[in-house]
This record gives sequence, structure tokens and C-alpha cells, in this order.
Amino acid sequence: MSSIKTKSSFGVAQVILFLSIAILVIVVAFPVLLILFNAFWVNDEFNFAGALEIIKEPQTFQALKNSLIIATGTTIGSTIVGTFFAWLVTRTDLPHKTFMKSMFLVPFMLPSFIGALAWKMLLSPNAGFINQFFIQHLGFTGPIFNIYSYIGISTVEVMYLFPFVFIQVCGALERMDPTLEESARISGAGLFTITRKITIPLVMPSILSGALLIMLYSMAHFGTVAVLGIENGIYNIPTLIYERIHQSGGSFDAIRTGTVLATVLVISAAIIIYAQRKILGSGHYQIIGGKSFRPMELKLRGLRMPLMIFCLAYIAFTIVLPTVVIFLVGSLKTYGLAFTFDNLSLDNYKFILFDYKVTRDAIFNSVTLGFTAAIITMFAGVMISYVIVKMKVRGKGILEFLGMLPFSVPGSVIALGVILAWSGQFGINLYNTVWIILVAYIARYMAFSLKANSAALEQVHDSLVEASRACGATMWQSLRDIVLPLVRPGMLAAFFLIFLPSLRELTVSIMLYAPTTRTIGVAIYTLNEDGETVISAALAGIALIIIILGQSVINHFTKKAGV
Amino acid sequence: MKKNGLILLLVMAICSVIFAGCGGGPKQQSSSSGAGAKGNKLVVYTSMKESLISSIVEGFKKKYPDIDVDYQSAGAGKLMAKIAAERQSGHILADVIWTSEVPDFYQMKKDGILEIYKSPVLKDLINPFDDYDGSFTAARLGTLGIAINTDKIKEPPTQWSDLLKPEYKGAFGIADPALSGTSYMSIALLQQKFGWDFFQQLHDNGARIGKGSGQVVDDTSSSELFASLAVDYITNSKIGKGAHMQLCYPPELLVVPSPVAIFKGSSNMDAAQKFVDYLLSQEAQALVAQQGTLPVRSDVDIPAKFHLPSPADAMKNAIKVNYTEILPQKEATIKQFTDILSKK
Repeated sequence: MSSIKTKSSFGVAQVILFLSIAILVIVVAFPVLLILFNAFWVNDEFNFAGALEIIKEPQTFQALKNSLIIATGTTIGSTIVGTFFAWLVTRTDLPHKTFMKSMFLVPFMLPSFIGALAWKMLLSPNAGFINQFFIQHLGFTGPIFNIYSYIGISTVEVMYLFPFVFIQVCGALERMDPTLEESARISGAGLFTITRKITIPLVMPSILSGALLIMLYSMAHFGTVAVLGIENGIYNIPTLIYERIHQSGGSFDAIRTGTVLATVLVISAAIIIYAQRKILGSGHYQIIGGKSFRPMELKLRGLRMPLMIFCLAYIAFTIVLPTVVIFLVGSLKTYGLAFTFDNLSLDNYKFILFDYKVTRDAIFNSVTLGFTAAIITMFAGVMISYVIVKMKVRGKGILEFLGMLPFSVPGSVIALGVILAWSGQFGINLYNTVWIILVAYIARYMAFSLKANSAALEQVHDSLVEASRACGATMWQSLRDIVLPLVRPGMLAAFFLIFLPSLRELTVSIMLYAPTTRTIGVAIYTLNEDGETVISAALAGIALIIIILGQSVINHFTKKAGV
Repeated sequence: MKKNGLILLLVMAICSVIFAGCGGGPKQQSSSSGAGAKGNKLVVYTSMKESLISSIVEGFKKKYPDIDVDYQSAGAGKLMAKIAAERQSGHILADVIWTSEVPDFYQMKKDGILEIYKSPVLKDLINPFDDYDGSFTAARLGTLGIAINTDKIKEPPTQWSDLLKPEYKGAFGIADPALSGTSYMSIALLQQKFGWDFFQQLHDNGARIGKGSGQVVDDTSSSELFASLAVDYITNSKIGKGAHMQLCYPPELLVVPSPVAIFKGSSNMDAAQKFVDYLLSQEAQALVAQQGTLPVRSDVDIPAKFHLPSPADAMKNAIKVNYTEILPQKEATIKQFTDILSKK
């Protein structure tokens, strides 16, 4: 009897394992492999030289260089900004620190391409409101800042990406054992020596890992460069892939260029992720313990007020100002008019929500796509995480490796991959339907679900289940009454971690949309491209409202769930 | 055994969710495009902007309340990509196509996917195509002029060569011909008339490539550009909303027809023909004229506020073009244009 039981459960375990692997292979690994295959495999033979040829083309090479230039600028800028603010809110006696900290996290939930739109309105060379103000009222002869430039693009990306470093460094600084610094102080070291010899070396891994995350994100970033760069002929890898695919109507040459560029992205991503793991795994990190200490605070003295004003000004300038501009421009009758009472109305918002088919469809598409993707990914994530964390079966290693993939594959690569996989060559043609976006979303957001669910599952110690079994509960009962309730917050977190970002998704859907299947992001982007700036701004405003409402709902739920 | 039960339940939960998801999806599709397959809903693909196409579809619905009609508006390139994909899967969801990218229509005619239909109202129409055979019929005569920002340019241009004056330095924009069909057509026309030299001179005066045909107009309205090569009704709609702009026509007119065509094998042939007839009728052409662009009929009043030339005059002064000749050169033209204007 016992032997039969083991055997059958082993069988089911295998089925689950197989299912998990199948999901990851079909949704993630297969499309990515197709990209590599198409990049190097032409007319049934391996062709590395051809791929190199494509990279050497002036336009592609320039795009590669641009990606690198922008990513480097963004990474350096974000690291400085993120580290500085993290230090300010954790280690000094800056007033209103909690408020500041939460404000510095706001850019995380704002879509950066909407930010780019706002900055375009504020700082485009001739028409930007700030530039106009300087020219008309302060006697400047030319624009003070041209946003359509490398510096402009990097600056905007810094505003929206620095939280990656900020969060990491905050965490490290908060968890750092203050006795280390204290002992150095007792031994007679000055503040400068302590910072140089103790604090910085301890926090360095966090800074670097945050910086690498930003590097990875910025290299593969579409929105900001698309809004601010194309105007001036600045393309990076994702925007060039988009441009080629968009113009070609699906010709093979464009797809091939896309695959080669995507391969470069995948390789860079792999290197970055590897470097990040190396750094996080290095010994320094061990000293930062899991326990919570109250670190000593630096007295800012005379700088206290100036620094607080600086922080508030930064928040006002990078968060409040762009948001206000979006809403104001969204209320204008047509772009270029002055912000007078006569020119402002709510007509655009009414038009978008009730009359304009394109935007109504887009809102509907984004909500249903986000919801469906979140539900599917949440359940698939629980299953796969369960296998990885709890089950002891052979072949788990493959799954762990596959589970890593979604973390490291950029959105435009996923989009290109699903085009290759699902546009008919393999019997299923989803191209130009809403399904292809759904498949891509599942691939893109699987990482979030795996992360949230495995974290939740890891906290459920096996002894809990064993205890309930020992008390006579059936396996089902103990799972239902113990494991599921404990994992539910993780599942809920996974759902929202997917649902919200997918509402403002642009990188993937811009490559996959058809006239019927615009998402909110695509609609904002194409309306802007069509010169419907005021309509586009109004929709962006509505998107911001939806996102902020969604975030509040999440905060409410997660608090209740005790996450 | 009990463990199996749980795992099974988990699998079932996943499956049910996936199926539930699948159930949710098609519903959303059928409301927009899926119904075309059922054969009772007329689907129009168009690159006309919302204001124009929605008023015409409304008018059509009023006249034929029994016919269910839906439209998809997007850039011509995007629509052609969708049509290409649909052709591969064997069924074009659209019944009617109406864009401004004339070369696409010659291509589709060559591919044999357009139904020959000569509307009974044909005799009343102005026909810009010498080789007309009923595959496609012009349903609008788009004109392009120079839109200026009246705050920045005080003296309206009267000649194309005015664009080479210093007040336009670094502030004249042309939409990217790779994105905009009308922009490509007008570049081809100007090149034919004035040669590449003209574009070289424009480049020397700092002319810029913008994005879509709408965006250059919006940039002109916002004074990011002082002037742009602009499509009539896009400019006129913004002027109507109070933009500080004016649309000026040099004597060598750029006229780009927007053809309408019916796809072969449409399951709504009767409705599609009715739609084309309606589009060419006096009623719909009056709607076209009200948007600030040229109708293909002479018996339609064009509101005076637009300062548009009459259709007959427009055809007379238009730069002549042989479509079949320029068709194969499209990519080369776009490339040369981009090379000249983006030279450092």
C-alpha cells in the first residue's frame, strides 16, 4: 500500500514539474531561443559573420552606442541621486524623513514615458514652458535646456529610475550594525575616516547592485527614448527594433535586424545579472545583519533646513511639476494655447472616457489584459514556486534556471520573441490579436509572480504542515487551513505586482498592438505621435489617476493582509 | 493519495482560471473586430483621423440603420501590416479600406485583392487617376500646404522657396515619410518638381524631420516649429480650436488623393458598396469639406473659413504625378530624403 502511494504521488509530482517546465518553456524560453536562432541561423546555416555585419551597419552601431551612452549617464546620475537621498533619509536628522522617503518612492509607480511627455512639454527647445518662460521673461536668447539630447534623456530617466538605488541603499544603511561605526569612533576615527573605511565599503554592494539594475533597465528602456530621442535622431536598441519592425510590415530583414539587436540586449542583460549576483554574493554583505538597529544619526545642524528645502524642491520639480503639467495640458483646447481660464476645460477628459473609441478600447483592453495576465501568472507562479521551494523532485534544477529567465529578459526582447513564436510559423497565428499581448505579458511578469510567491512559500515552514498532519488533519486540510492562508498575501502581492504595471505597459504592447488592440500606453504614445498632444496628455492624466487609485487599493489590501 | 488530491485541485484551479481568462478574451474581441467574420458587420480600415471618419460613419448609420458598421483608424503602415497578416491567415477582416497612401492601392491592385466596383455616382466625381479601372476611387483630395505659427512668422509664405528664408531657420518641419503616407507622397511630388536640390537647401536652412503628419502640425501650434509641411484638415481642425496657425498654399499645389476600395471576397459586398456610394455622395462629401479638406465633388460647398482652393482648381494646379512610375521608388525616395535631411 505504502509503495503504491509513494509511486502515485511521485507521478503527480512529475506531472506538476512537467507542467511547470512546459509553461516556462513555451512562454519564455522558446521565444528567446527563437531570437538567438534567427539571429545566427540564416538559410539553414550558421552565420555569425552576417550578424556581425548587421551590428556594423552605421545605424545599428549608433543605436548600440546610444544605448550604452544613455545607460551609463542614467546609471551614474541615479546612483549619485539615489545614494545621496538614501543617506539623507536614513542617517541624518532631516525633518519629515518618513514623508520624504515615501515621496522618493513615488517615481516607482509613475510610468516614465508619461514623465518624458511632461518633460517634453516643459523643456522642448522652442515651445517648452520653462524655456519659453526664460526667453520671454528673463531675457534669454535661446532655450536654457534642450530635452531632446543625451543629457535630457538621461536626466529624465534618472528621475524615474533612481529609486532602484535608493531602496537598496536605504535597506543596507538601515540594517547596518552601528556598533561597527561606534567602535571606529571610540578608536578615534573621524567622521570622514568612518565614512570612507566603514560605511562606504559596507554599503557598496547595495549601491552597485542597484546601479547594475538601473543599467539593465536603461539599456532596454523604450519609452523615454522614444518620446525624447527619435525627434533628434537618437535611437537606442529597443527604439530601433520598434522602428524597424513598425516600418517593415513584418519583412524578414527587419525581424532579423531586430533579433541581432535583441541578442545584444540578452547578452548584456546576462552579463549584468551575473555581475550583480557576484557582487551580492560577496562577503562584505554578511556584516549587514538581518536584525534591526537604530543607527546613529548625523546632526545636519545649519544644513538641516537648506537640505530639507532642497529635498522638497526636488520632489516638487520632479514629481509635482510634471504631473501638474500633464493635467493642465490635458485640459487645453489645443496645444500651444496659453493656460487661461477660457482655454481650459474638461472636454478632453469627457471625450476620452465617453466618445473616443480608440481610448475607450485602450482602457478596456489594458484593464482586461492586466487582469487576465495577473490571474494566470499568479496561479502559474504559485505552482512553479511550489515546485521550486517545496517539492523534492529530480529535474528541479532546470526549473530553477528557467525561473531565472524572465528576470533577465528585457521587454522588447520578449515582444520580438512572441512575434517569432506566435505568428504562424508554428501553426498558431496570434499576431495582431489581443492574445499575443497576453502571452507576452505572462512571459514578462512571470518573474514578479515567482518572486512574490516563492518568498511567501519560503516562510511557510514544513513543520507547520507536519504539526497539523500529526494532529490528524488530512493533507488537504492542512494545505487549505495552513499553507494557503499563509501564502495568500504572496499571491495577492503577485496579482497586484502584475496588474498595476501592466496598466501602464508600453515596451511590449507597442511592438504587438494592432488597430483593435491598443493598450493605454500604446494609445498615449500613438496619440502623441499623431500630434494629438492634448488628448494624449488627458489620457495620461486618467492613467495616472487609475494607477494612483490602484496603488492605494493595494496599500490598503496589503496592510490588511499583513504583508 | 490526499496529497495528489490537492495537487490535482491546484492544477484544476489553474486550468479553470486559464479557461476563464480565455472566456473573457474573445468577448472583448468580438465587440470590436471578431464579428466581421460573422458577415453582418461592415468593417472599415482607415487612416483618416477620428473627427472625419466618425462623422461619416455616423451619417452612414443614420441612412442605413440596418447595417452594422465599425471602423478601425490607425496609420496606413499599421493597417497594411494588419492586412498582410490577415491575408496570411486567409481572411481579411476588413471590407473597405480608405487611406491616403496611394502606392499601397496600386500594390493591392497588383496583388489582386481589390474588388472592381464602379459606383453609380462616378460621373459626378473628380478623378485624379488616369488609369482608373474601378479598383479604387478617390474619396477625398488631401492638400498639403505650409502651416505657419502666426506668432512667429508674420508674413505668410507664398512660394515654396520662401521656406529657405532666414526666419524659418531650424524651425521648419516635415513629417517622417516612413511613418506618414501623405508626407511621402508630398516629398515625391516636390522632388519631382524641384529636384533633390530643394531638399538640400531646406537642410542647409535647418529643416527637421518630425514624426507623424499630425505631430508636425501640433509642434507648429505649440511654436516648437515655426512652420511645417501640413495636411489640410489636421491643421484646420486645430485652427478651429483656436491654435495660432495659418495654412498657406504655394502655387504648385500638393494634392494627395485618398482612395477607397473594397476587398475581394468581402462577405458584406452589398453593404460595402453602399458605404462607398455613401462616401462619394454629396452628403458625405459635404462632411469631408466641413473638416477642412477637399471633396471629390464640385457640387459641394466648402466653408470659406478654410481658404481652400476649389477641387477643380486644385487638380489644375496640382503637381502632376505618374503613380505607377513612383511606386517602385518609394524606399529609395524615403532613404534619400532621410539621408539629406539628417546629414550632420
